[in-house]
Amino acid sequence: MQDMNLTGLFIDLMGRLGLNYEFLATGYEAQIWRDGFITTLYLVAVTIPVSLIVGLIFAACLTSGRLWLSAPVRGFVELTRNTPTLVQLMFSFLVLNTVVSNMLGGAQNNPLSPFFWVVAVVGLHVAALHAEAIRGGIEAVPSSMIEAARGMGFSQFEILRYVQIPLAFRASLPAIVNGLISLVKSTTVGNAIAVSEITYASIMVWTQRDNVVELMIVLLAFFSLINFVVARVGSWVERRLAIPGYGL
Amino acid sequence: MTASTATETGAAIVKLEDVHLSFGQTEVLKGIDLTINKGDAVSIIGPSGSGKSTILRCINALVTPQSGKITVAGTRVDQLTKESERIQLRKRVGIVFQQYNLFPHLTVLDNIVLAPTKILGADRTATVKLARELLEKVRLSEKADAYPGQLSGGQQQRVAIARALAMKPELVLFDEVTSALDPETVGEVLWVIRDLIRDGMTSILVTHEMRFAEEISDTVVFTENGRIVDHGSPQQIFHTTDNPRIRQFVGGLSGGGRGAVRDGEGI
Amino acid sequence: MSMAVTPKTTSTSSRVLRYIGFVAMPLIVIVWSLIDLSLGRELVEWIPYLASGFSMNILITICAVTLGTTAGVTLGLMQLAPFWFVRLPAQIYVQIFRNAPALVLIFATTYIFPFEIVLFGNYLPFPDWVKAVIGLAILSSAYIAEITRGAVLSIPTTQWEATKGLGFSRLQALRYVILPQCVRRSLPPWMNVASSMAMGTSLASLVGVHELMHAATDASTAVRRLDFTIIAYVVVMAAFFTLCYPIARLTRRLEQRFNAG
Repeated sequence: MQDMNLTGLFIDLMGRLGLNYEFLATGYEAQIWRDGFITTLYLVAVTIPVSLIVGLIFAACLTSGRLWLSAPVRGFVELTRNTPTLVQLMFSFLVLNTVVSNMLGGAQNNPLSPFFWVVAVVGLHVAALHAEAIRGGIEAVPSSMIEAARGMGFSQFEILRYVQIPLAFRASLPAIVNGLISLVKSTTVGNAIAVSEITYASIMVWTQRDNVVELMIVLLAFFSLINFVVARVGSWVERRLAIPGYGL
Repeated sequence: MTASTATETGAAIVKLEDVHLSFGQTEVLKGIDLTINKGDAVSIIGPSGSGKSTILRCINALVTPQSGKITVAGTRVDQLTKESERIQLRKRVGIVFQQYNLFPHLTVLDNIVLAPTKILGADRTATVKLARELLEKVRLSEKADAYPGQLSGGQQQRVAIARALAMKPELVLFDEVTSALDPETVGEVLWVIRDLIRDGMTSILVTHEMRFAEEISDTVVFTENGRIVDHGSPQQIFHTTDNPRIRQFVGGLSGGGRGAVRDGEGI
Repeated sequence: MSMAVTPKTTSTSSRVLRYIGFVAMPLIVIVWSLIDLSLGRELVEWIPYLASGFSMNILITICAVTLGTTAGVTLGLMQLAPFWFVRLPAQIYVQIFRNAPALVLIFATTYIFPFEIVLFGNYLPFPDWVKAVIGLAILSSAYIAEITRGAVLSIPTTQWEATKGLGFSRLQALRYVILPQCVRRSLPPWMNVASSMAMGTSLASLVGVHELMHAATDASTAVRRLDFTIIAYVVVMAAFFTLCYPIARLTRRLEQRFNAG
């Protein structure tokens, strides 16, 4: 009851400013919109770990010095960085998804949802950005430092594990945070294949209510807020990992 | 430390026989013969680019020569084919570099403890105790929790020495360890090395500190153009040699040169 | 996970990959069209339609980047202004729009602006592609404002002092010393923005602008062949790739050169 009153108060207040938020009082449209926010947050929460884990794997491949590992990843990185995410998503959904459906004997047997394809395409795209950042960090570790570790009897893997990754991760953290911010924004492409994230839900509302400006204000505030939180968490991690006397 | 029983004091711990090595077209070592006994302190001197540092890297299996025999503490280094075997050797041979190369993301103590615990699998409590003793030895006990970036060059280099010693090596290689230091911190590092040699640690030094080499070495080796021109006692190499090249090199460096001035300081 | 980086093989392999990279995608399209001629004929028929779509992408990109650069440089300098009433609006603008997804801005401009505008009593149509231009220009202006601000701040104050010492006036210093350095520093990130705007133009298809993505969707619905759908989208990707990959390579080259210099 308390909640309803607050909503009513908000609608009233905004109405006096000339902004129409009346749909919030209706059950159905408000529900769609709330679900849209939740879907976007869920999408972001699932895609971030996917991008980080795959990014680390990609970076390991890129710096492996083995052509059969680095060349395909390098190719994928260049492809995904230089073509629109929307086109990748449409291609994946219209082509790969259809191929999977045909292989499984019909769309009804295909377990892959549009949601899956958004996570996969956006996750791998941002993973490529992370991989480039981490690769840069790994290659920035001075070769004399690696020789010192080798001279002490570290194996290649131990050098990666104890020396290169800790240093590379710190060096690439700002770039990784930027990647995550672009990940948050990229989740909106789900709109194109009817994943009911927040922009899709907003279209549903404003085609009924014609209150684009009102919804836009909230959308911009919403994305600013998520990205503010991502940036804050990033700089918190950066501070936690900062090494006294070591400027990066 | 199993191999150390096999090599008594006075027995050869390092033996290089006719070692040839080239990087691409450049011939760096053109037939090096060198024997170093356990407990000895050997200085390798000579002009830049004469292959001094490469000799150390051969002993530690960081580079593999094209031909020749290298025996280190009973191991035929030139016959090691697998990286894992080379790693086994490196655990027994400590090396300290010109650019200290401490791990910047770890504290001084963790820099020393990392390799023994992670690479040798040593007990952490015991290793921490050892690390503190070593820090005492290099006179940096109060810096245990500092990060490398907060230390001076000389302090970092002393930590690097402690880090090498924490692996309980059978011999230690010093690769121009004072060349990157400010003149005023050279002395403190040399002091630590001198203590170490007095304790009987087998040491091979590539150095430009002529006075220091003369003072602490059992044997001095002069290299030029990938060959050992001469070797002998410090007295022989620095004072009684007939070789004009050595006389020129030694005279040029110690006759009021930077090395002599630096050496006098802080000792 | 081995780290045996042998510089020689990496550089040759990356050089080979780079050259393959430039031609790989068009090559796939051509080879496939030649293998399956019926597909090739279908594609040749649709190519002009797809090309007309892509010219729209390029038009939107050029307009959005030009507009965005003009506005962005102004906003960036405003952010550095000594007066809060100049600084603050610019800062708020940049903070809001830098964090906004491109799609949201394109939706905003498309649905908020009217379909025609009244100018001196004349009704002028306000086409969707212009709205998309404005949406992307808003986004790029926010990015470019940050780039501009960063570039000016990165010039050490000693540079200003040095010009004073040499007797330059403030304007001369700006013209001959400061701005050239700013341009040098901001060129690579500016090219990144331009490239991501070019890719962002595909989002205009979602508001019904007839661009390449839209054209490909039309074509694949008309032809109704899975292999044609695949090749149509490969053509789309190849087009964007051929546009953006050289920019990306050039950007990296410039970055390396500036870092070295």
